[in-house]
Amino acid sequence: MRLLRTIVQTLFLAGVVAVLVRGMMGLTTSTCETYCPFAGLVALYPLLRFNTYTCAMNEFHVALFVSLVALTLVTKKSFCSWVCPLGTVQEWIGKASREVFGRYVRPPVAVDRILLNLKYVVLVLVLGLTWTVWQGDLGFRAYDPFYIIFTGFRGHETLSFSIFIGIGVLVAAFFVPMVFCRYLCPLSAVMDPMSRAGFLRLRRNPGRCTDCGICDEACPQGIPVATADEVTARDCTNCLECVEVCPEKGALELTLFGK
Amino acid sequence: MKKVIVIPAAILILILVAFATMGAYRVPTLVVEFVEKRPAVVESVEYTVDGLTCRGKSRGFAGMISGVEGVVSLTTYVRSNTAIVEYDPTLTDPVEIETAFEGPIVHEDEEYFLFKAKK
Repeated sequence: MRLLRTIVQTLFLAGVVAVLVRGMMGLTTSTCETYCPFAGLVALYPLLRFNTYTCAMNEFHVALFVSLVALTLVTKKSFCSWVCPLGTVQEWIGKASREVFGRYVRPPVAVDRILLNLKYVVLVLVLGLTWTVWQGDLGFRAYDPFYIIFTGFRGHETLSFSIFIGIGVLVAAFFVPMVFCRYLCPLSAVMDPMSRAGFLRLRRNPGRCTDCGICDEACPQGIPVATADEVTARDCTNCLECVEVCPEKGALELTLFGK
Repeated sequence: MKKVIVIPAAILILILVAFATMGAYRVPTLVVEFVEKRPAVVESVEYTVDGLTCRGKSRGFAGMISGVEGVVSLTTYVRSNTAIVEYDPTLTDPVEIETAFEGPIVHEDEEYFLFKAKK
């Protein structure tokens, strides 16, 4: 399972890096944002209101966003742990951190719960500013670590402070696992309701579970798997790290439509 | 745990669906009418243009062809880098329009080219 996911993650990461390198060589005008589903959400307002697109948004972004909604309804936030290159980089940094510290370093639960709501504020700010002050321009690019990092810190809207944001997220991911995804990613906030309903989810078999708690420790999202009968948490990305480390066969199982 | 295959399969299918469906509907990025009264005879020409990548660039493109007498309207589609220009054939032609948008931009005494028609 882990190998399959690593292969998929590496393919998507390599794809985005290839776009970056081709862009630097002058072989394409595409950038990482050409393939960003969040732009599809941003495009919906001008599309529905004025039947037009703003900035560089187009039909492909909308199609990607609709696909993402469908994917999340079926597989929860698997996009985050299987596809998103920024998620991949943060996960790998987090794993390096776990090697160094011997475990994931996490903020206290009370702080974590408060921080988890920050991404909704970010979402409202980004959409609100884009549709008003920025007049449809993707002004948040200057603040978006995905854009900043995967344009090689040299995207045309990368400003001096953007570089600090990009590096800051990478450094922070070493000390708090998946820091951007969990606390700040507006796309993650959008996916939350669909993710809760996601049909493909983990179920714990209490008859086989020994309550060892290893799954809790392994979860990059900090989800208390060991005490759940069914993992309905909005932040579960179906990375299946908990299943990988579980010593009891059949204690944790993926279910589709409850079966 | 065979159900894990659902995840990459769903990802692959939905990406293919996204690629397949994006061409099903086509919405312009920018539509500009340059004249108040359309001439009796109007022809149109479609250009694929390097550099036509966003709405702002589309506005720049509109500015560059707006000075050509006989240009009636412009519609751009940035996903395909396409510009469709309607014109009065008695006053201008596609070559003159192309020459207009391929003209150099001068900024701080430096010349550069914003748009180039793909042949």
